[in-house]
Amino acid sequence: MSASAVFVLDLKGKPLICRNYKGDINMMEIDHFMPLVVQREEEGNLTPLLVHGKVHFLWIKHSNLYLVALTNKNANAALVYSFLYKVVEVFTEYFKELEEESIRDNFVIVYELLDEVMDFGFPQTTESKILQEYITQQGNKLETAKSRVPTTVTNAVSWRSEGLKYKKNEVFIDVIESVNLLVNSNGSVLLSEIVGSVKLKVFLSGMPELRLGLNDRVLFELTGRNKNKTVELEDVKFHQCVRLSRFENDRTISFIPPDGDFELMSYRLNTQVKPLIWIESVIEKFSHSRLEIMVKAKGQFKKQSVANNVEISVPVPSDADSPKFKTSVGSAKYVPEKNVVVWTIKSFPGGKEYLMRAHFGLPSVETEELEGKPPIGVKFEIPYFTVSGIQVRYMKIIEKSGYQALPWVRYITQSGGM
Amino acid sequence: MMPYLGSEDAVRELKKALSNPHIQGDRLRYRNVIHKVIRHMTLGVDVSSVFMEMVKASATVDIVQKKLVYLYMCTYAPQKPDLALLTINTLCKDCSDPNPMVRGLALRSMCNLRMPGIQEYIQQPVQNGLRDKASYVRRVAVLGCAKMQRQQWDVEIDGAIVNELYSLLRDPDPIVLVNSLRALEEILRGEGGVVINKPIAHHLLNRMADLDQWGQSEVLTFLLRYKPRSEEEVFDILNILDNYLKSTHISVVMGATKLFLALAKAFPHVQSDVLVRLKGPLLAACTSESREMCFAALCHVREILRSLPGHFSNLYKKFFCSYNDPHYIKNQKIDILCELVNDENVHSILEELRVCCTDVSTQLAHTAVFAIGRIARTYSEKCVKILAGLLEYKQEHITSAVVQTFRDLVWLCPQCTGSVCQAVPGCEENIQDNEGKQALIWLLGMHGELIPNAPYILEDYADNIKTELSPTVKMELLTALVRLFLSRPAECQDMLGRLIYYCIVFYEKIIITEEETNMAVRDRGLFYYRLLSSGINDMKRVLSGPKSDSSLGVLGDRTEQPVNSWVPVFNTLAPLYDKKLWESITASSGKCELPVGSKTNTKTLVADFQTSLDPETHHDPHDGVTLLSDIAMTSELFEEKMDHSNHRSLLEHRMEEKR
Repeated sequence: MSASAVFVLDLKGKPLICRNYKGDINMMEIDHFMPLVVQREEEGNLTPLLVHGKVHFLWIKHSNLYLVALTNKNANAALVYSFLYKVVEVFTEYFKELEEESIRDNFVIVYELLDEVMDFGFPQTTESKILQEYITQQGNKLETAKSRVPTTVTNAVSWRSEGLKYKKNEVFIDVIESVNLLVNSNGSVLLSEIVGSVKLKVFLSGMPELRLGLNDRVLFELTGRNKNKTVELEDVKFHQCVRLSRFENDRTISFIPPDGDFELMSYRLNTQVKPLIWIESVIEKFSHSRLEIMVKAKGQFKKQSVANNVEISVPVPSDADSPKFKTSVGSAKYVPEKNVVVWTIKSFPGGKEYLMRAHFGLPSVETEELEGKPPIGVKFEIPYFTVSGIQVRYMKIIEKSGYQALPWVRYITQSGGM
Repeated sequence: MMPYLGSEDAVRELKKALSNPHIQGDRLRYRNVIHKVIRHMTLGVDVSSVFMEMVKASATVDIVQKKLVYLYMCTYAPQKPDLALLTINTLCKDCSDPNPMVRGLALRSMCNLRMPGIQEYIQQPVQNGLRDKASYVRRVAVLGCAKMQRQQWDVEIDGAIVNELYSLLRDPDPIVLVNSLRALEEILRGEGGVVINKPIAHHLLNRMADLDQWGQSEVLTFLLRYKPRSEEEVFDILNILDNYLKSTHISVVMGATKLFLALAKAFPHVQSDVLVRLKGPLLAACTSESREMCFAALCHVREILRSLPGHFSNLYKKFFCSYNDPHYIKNQKIDILCELVNDENVHSILEELRVCCTDVSTQLAHTAVFAIGRIARTYSEKCVKILAGLLEYKQEHITSAVVQTFRDLVWLCPQCTGSVCQAVPGCEENIQDNEGKQALIWLLGMHGELIPNAPYILEDYADNIKTELSPTVKMELLTALVRLFLSRPAECQDMLGRLIYYCIVFYEKIIITEEETNMAVRDRGLFYYRLLSSGINDMKRVLSGPKSDSSLGVLGDRTEQPVNSWVPVFNTLAPLYDKKLWESITASSGKCELPVGSKTNTKTLVADFQTSLDPETHHDPHDGVTLLSDIAMTSELFEEKMDHSNHRSLLEHRMEEKR
């Protein structure tokens, strides 16, 4: 691993915060970073890994910040990037929004955190839940001088502290499936994939043992049952608390959960899915005069389900003007800064079909600039429904004090990030 | 925030405030002033002059204040070593504080004071720290050993500490364990790093499950050093680590893969099995939310494809570009798609690439066009059709890239010549850049007998030679016309005469008054003039080289490389860099760069000159072959090079020619 120094820079490349972990790199090297970024961007070959002399810059961008790790070793790239993302995650949990302003406002905590997450270029404690026990937001207020020794720093189960107490013991389970689809201009589906994730919100006292049962096909085949509808999960990944060996042996998902929010598992399904909201469009461009857009959206999911907050964004040329819209349902809005028309439908029941027409004026003098052809994007959320058909069959909660705890389950399908 | 003052004034203000007894008495105000000092330090203002006052501020029970003061100390200690020694007392005292957080903080800060002579003070606290009952302190102390060693390379390695660190590999705390490995590696660097023998290796394997992702990734790297004794042991290790191929953390997956590949060096079937199992996780990483992670994963996919070209062929759709992908990802994906082509998917892949060819970014469009060119070596008919279709966009950058691709293609695949020649006429209207012009002119000269209007296109270029700036284009034009003259003498004779006359005479006139005209063009003109005067038969003998050479394709069609050839660099920075760039980075660390402009001896000059003349050295066999000859030496460069060695002889030579 071994990052010699970590910098947080603003958009102009000016250091906001830096930490020299190893002392084997001249800290002035960072001055070469921004010119390199600019130069490579102009040449059209900017990459997340840059080099100047013997110093490698591994960088990521987050809102209006650059996070840069410097190293002069042939480091492990994936590890450095995940460390930088971890730093972003930790900062975000502390400051809600990670941006230039929050770094400036909280520089004391930032220094404290940078001191704990890495030492001598090696990652140390990076779990924000544990860090929060001894680096607190209230650091600025003056309180007791002798701070308590957090148990988790020395605990056997590193992700959960002992002695937690809740009046009401509850677990909330969210099963979220994101659908990524890519359709080309002839209407054939190029790419279709479901990325699922099971997220837990845990309010449980003590050190509870949890067991989660899903309608996992492999499990059902193991136990000989095959009546119910089952789902074949691929690429299943678990939070570190899950006992992998047990899952390997008998497909049981058993674990001691961290407190609060976390992602228990994620999976992928490569099965071809029908696009849940099908879009057909006719876009006619009459050069120098006008642009006419007709978009038809069809809900191709079960009639009982309803898609919420559907947002269909249709790209238009940057020089279009005087928009006019007509929609059969919902409302359309022109967003000039993004060069799109956004058609919003608050609730979209399955099986229904809606229409939107838009009319734009085009200037008589055309821009010379080439414009890309961005795709039409669709955002939506369908509650109480999973495309894959995955189901939580049970959630068993066992704690030695023997309390009763309630699990709550919620399903949602949403559009992916593509 | 304090009102804006010049930084000197601000520092003076801070100094005053820090030594004000009223502020010192009020903890909140005192802490605020310290915050201001750190804020100035962060902004890059030199606040080293308040060092003395900050030393005093370190004696506090407020742990946040302590942290800030220690941070300050570590920043300015190298500048004020004598004052920094004053803090040692406080630090030493804090090292025996009842609160382990304070002990850890003090010890860490002490080891971070990068200044000479610090060793004698930190040795004892570090040793105590190694045996501290709090794991937090032990973690710090273990790395402290490595920091201590780094500051005194000349001093012999302390065997006792090394032994202690080896025994700390058995520490119950996982971070202490991993830190001990890291520290030993650093301390024993001169002796080849930490030794991983059988008991240590097995111990680490058993502890893997307790470690976090950083620890797991690193232990997997350390385990690469272990050489199992028997085949049985290899398989035992592979079994134990099997789960890590499925870890949530891509870095652990990659680390595990590398270890598997290395352990299974002698068992090719195990290696290929590992690569099959890696498919899923690697693909997941390729679609990861983090673009940088995608990039790293895609680069490794490319690496794997070097050995197993069809490895991801059935999953080719995963490598289609998404509109929002940044360029570096699109470039990698296009590269990968080229490798995945087979009879079943060639149609879809070409369709995807065709769409990329019209991307707004010209750089990306070029990459896509050249990618189609690469596929054309196997599926020439389909590709030439697509490429010819692209010409209809009449976009300069697309046309230029297509024509360059055509040039390389007819050289490698002579069977395409006919269809290429049909597509070429008309291109001249949409080509403005030198590379494109050269390619077109070359095609017209080489295959002019198949292109009815070739002489007339060349005539246009010849007539406009005065406005042509690029010497390489001029030379290409000379060669092309001479070639075409051989196959279609009647149409070319007149303009060839005019062109040669122009080149020789025009330059004759100029050269007397101006020094910077292009020698190469003139020489080329003279050369053809003399060749022509020696008769048509001689001329044919010299110029009728081969029109194609499919054997060159070997350079481009990479031969499959054994898996073991890239395993050593797998999961490092190397696969993320362009191959050429990586070689230059690693090479430059070995030898220093050639001095520029200073006394360069003749030998290197000659070598340098030859390499730039030799087109072979400029071919990267993996980038696709271009036939661009690299004689594009400008007169300035030429002069500069010659100046150093044989300026005088050159002048004499010129004088002779003038006569």
